Amino acid sequence: MRNAARRLTHRFVLIFSLVLLGSLLSVGAASAQFGQPKPVTEEADSLHTLYLLVTVAGFIVFALVTGALLYMVVRYRRRSDELPPQTHGNNLLEVIWTTIPIVIVLFLFVSSFVVLLDVEEDAEPEDLTVNVTGFQFSWEFVYDLADLGRGEGPGGEGTVSVIGTGSEEPLLVIPVNEPVEFKLTSNDVIHSFYVRNFLYKLDVVPGLDNSFKVTAHETGTFEAQCAELCGLDHALMRFQVQVMERPDFDAYIAGLASEQLEQARVP
Amino acid sequence: MATIAVPRTGSAFRPAVLDWLTTVDHKKLGILYLYFTMFFFAVGGILALLVRTQLAVADSTFVSNDAYNQIFTMHASAMLFLFIIPIWAAFGNYIVPLQIGAVDMAFPRINALSFWLLPPAGILMFSGFFFGGSADAGWTAYSPLARNTGTGMDLWIIAVILLGISSTIGAANFLVTMFRMRAPGMTMFRMPVFCWNVLVTSILQLLATPVLAAALCMLYIDRNFGGSFFDPNGGGNVILWQNVFWFYSHPAVYIMILPGMGIVSEILPVFARKPLFGYKAFVFATLGIGGLGFSVWAHHMFTTGAVLKPFFGFMTFMIGVPTGVKIFNWLATLWRGSITFEPPMLFALGFVSMFLIGGINGTYSAAVPVDFAIHDTYFVVAHIHYVLFGGSVFAVFGGLYYWFPKFFGRRLNDKLGVTQFVLMIVGFNLAFFPMHLLGLDGMPRRIATYNEADWEALNMASTIGAFLIGVSMIPFLIAVVAAFMRPKDQPDDPWEGNTLEWATTSPPPVHNFDSLPEIHSERPLFDQRHGIGGHGVHPATGEGRG
Ligand code: HEM
Ligand SMILES: [Cu+2]
Ligand SMILES: [Cu+2]
Repeated sequence: MRNAARRLTHRFVLIFSLVLLGSLLSVGAASAQFGQPKPVTEEADSLHTLYLLVTVAGFIVFALVTGALLYMVVRYRRRSDELPPQTHGNNLLEVIWTTIPIVIVLFLFVSSFVVLLDVEEDAEPEDLTVNVTGFQFSWEFVYDLADLGRGEGPGGEGTVSVIGTGSEEPLLVIPVNEPVEFKLTSNDVIHSFYVRNFLYKLDVVPGLDNSFKVTAHETGTFEAQCAELCGLDHALMRFQVQVMERPDFDAYIAGLASEQLEQARVP
Repeated sequence: MATIAVPRTGSAFRPAVLDWLTTVDHKKLGILYLYFTMFFFAVGGILALLVRTQLAVADSTFVSNDAYNQIFTMHASAMLFLFIIPIWAAFGNYIVPLQIGAVDMAFPRINALSFWLLPPAGILMFSGFFFGGSADAGWTAYSPLARNTGTGMDLWIIAVILLGISSTIGAANFLVTMFRMRAPGMTMFRMPVFCWNVLVTSILQLLATPVLAAALCMLYIDRNFGGSFFDPNGGGNVILWQNVFWFYSHPAVYIMILPGMGIVSEILPVFARKPLFGYKAFVFATLGIGGLGFSVWAHHMFTTGAVLKPFFGFMTFMIGVPTGVKIFNWLATLWRGSITFEPPMLFALGFVSMFLIGGINGTYSAAVPVDFAIHDTYFVVAHIHYVLFGGSVFAVFGGLYYWFPKFFGRRLNDKLGVTQFVLMIVGFNLAFFPMHLLGLDGMPRRIATYNEADWEALNMASTIGAFLIGVSMIPFLIAVVAAFMRPKDQPDDPWEGNTLEWATTSPPPVHNFDSLPEIHSERPLFDQRHGIGGHGVHPATGEGRG
């Protein structure tokens, strides 16, 4: 009788672990990044590594605790009317299982701290700066022609800007393999600058000078949108980020510049 | 003592209604709280289904952007302020005085006032729909957005202030009741764990709610009297709102879950026939969560660029420690127990397993750099619901099935309870697990629509799950109606309980107890049943009395 129950329990735990492992593997296989979009900046690489670490720790804790819970439920279901032993507690056990979470969270905290220091480096003065303004309900990206970072660049005076409208999503263009700084401004309400493949967002707050730096290591076009509720058409505050080779970037900016100088001359 | 004869005039109906409107009996007020909060659970649930209908497919036009912002704002506001926070006052009101062997709350009239502040607040909050639209800036009402929206926002502010007053005076009442009204022998460390959780919750409410009231007054002044507390152009500070708001609202997260943990800690021992493992450790863990709860508010603000990230990240991780202790204690309570699976126990076990997931996915936000990606995405929506639905709402139903016989003298049908549980836990996971994946992939929360075809399948799954949750309420409603169609037939102690509420009739008389058993531990009824500690079974409260 007892043995049969034990065998049942063991089989149960085995099946549970197999199902868990199976679902883990299938999730992993479904997306190479375990759910996160592909990281395209150096910063995003470390952010993604930390994410994987937390995920592994989380799955271990989940599997152990849920496994233990299922085990108890199957193993200790009522079989007789006998009163079970009335254990009120155990100091040693209490100390042990206060220590376990302390160790886990300290480990996760230290890892987070290291990654935080790594990704929050300040930009250098010679880095390309893009001035980003969020407004209800789109974005403006402004480049200073005299400060286009490390390339040859079109040179010249003044600024060029890309501005989105309700019907047209703006395109933000940056060069690959170079640090780029984003300076974020808002004059109405709070928005949040969120590029999925950067695995990063930073709020655009009226009255606060927020900025951050990334170095993209992959070319391509990536989806982005406002991540802080900002009113009626918040959902439509989308934009795209295109990472280009430096010469393409320079050509693109030069194109914008001549276009906008043209327009400026017309009236 | 003289008795006063109350002249009976008119039909029997009138006095009954009058009686409910003027009652100061903690049990009746508890029932009123229960009806009120369950009504708003239904309202919030219907709004949630509208949200899920809108998001089922990409580029949906089921509701307008404007309507969407109102709907999700009112969904959260109803669920938090009109359902989950006050429903703990329903259980607290009914159960705390019984569990400590008191005749009533310390201040019965203030208790009535706490309740009667709720209906006007609920009406005000929802009346926005008739004045050009309800509040639509999210339940967090971030400024400057919330400074500039329509009249519904003012009504919302006043409503939340009223609710804050209700919960502040209610908290004071609970504290005085537990400090001053305990029966002889009921020392602090013999108080049932549910009471301890209500106690810590009350401390949090007393300390945190006034801060929210202050913030709301500032917002009201900004909106209506030319103030500029939150306007940088007038010398104000936008982030100030978030600091004061979360200084309340993080502790409020514990206000929303601690009493649920208390309920689960009552149910597990009874259905496993064992004492709660590590009673004192559990109490200290609760106090620890309460204390730490005041030092983590800025973990909601990591992406503002205006907070000390390592400090708040560290404190947030530390909350995992007392929480972990609680989970281990629950497991150890089951260990070598003798477990049965009536509906209260199923919901309690559902709580433990779902809340565990809510704790684990919470660490993703505590790890600050990971939060940069998931903040303000559907990952956070998943987290909120694993804690507040998988946690708190499962505890609510556990508590309802457990105490229904005490409240109404009738038992909810077990089979219907099991059916509800199965539908609910399947629907719940189908509705909310996919949100993790959506959030990781970058779907922001609070968006009225999306255009990513990739997100459609997961969103559709989530919507189906949400409707399954809705369906799971049908067996519950049938069980309630069926119970009320039967006569009161429940004994004092249908579950072999441990605590004093089971030492009186179901439902209890107005004065609660004819006599109390002797109290030698945190389980006076267990002791009595097994003849431990006292002088055998007390004649007046022997079991089986109908
Ligand atoms: C049928 C059950 C429920 C469903 C289907 C549901 C669904 C949702 C969805 C889809 C959102 C995201 C809306 C958005 O960001 O645009 C949401 C937000 C939220 N829900 Fe629920 N929910 C349910 C029950 C609950 C319960 C029981 C609570 C609390 C006790 C709750 C509290 C919240 C909160 C606090 C938010 C955040 C709203 C915000 O971002 O301002 N929900 N819910
Ligand atoms: Cu926005
Ligand atoms: Cu919080």
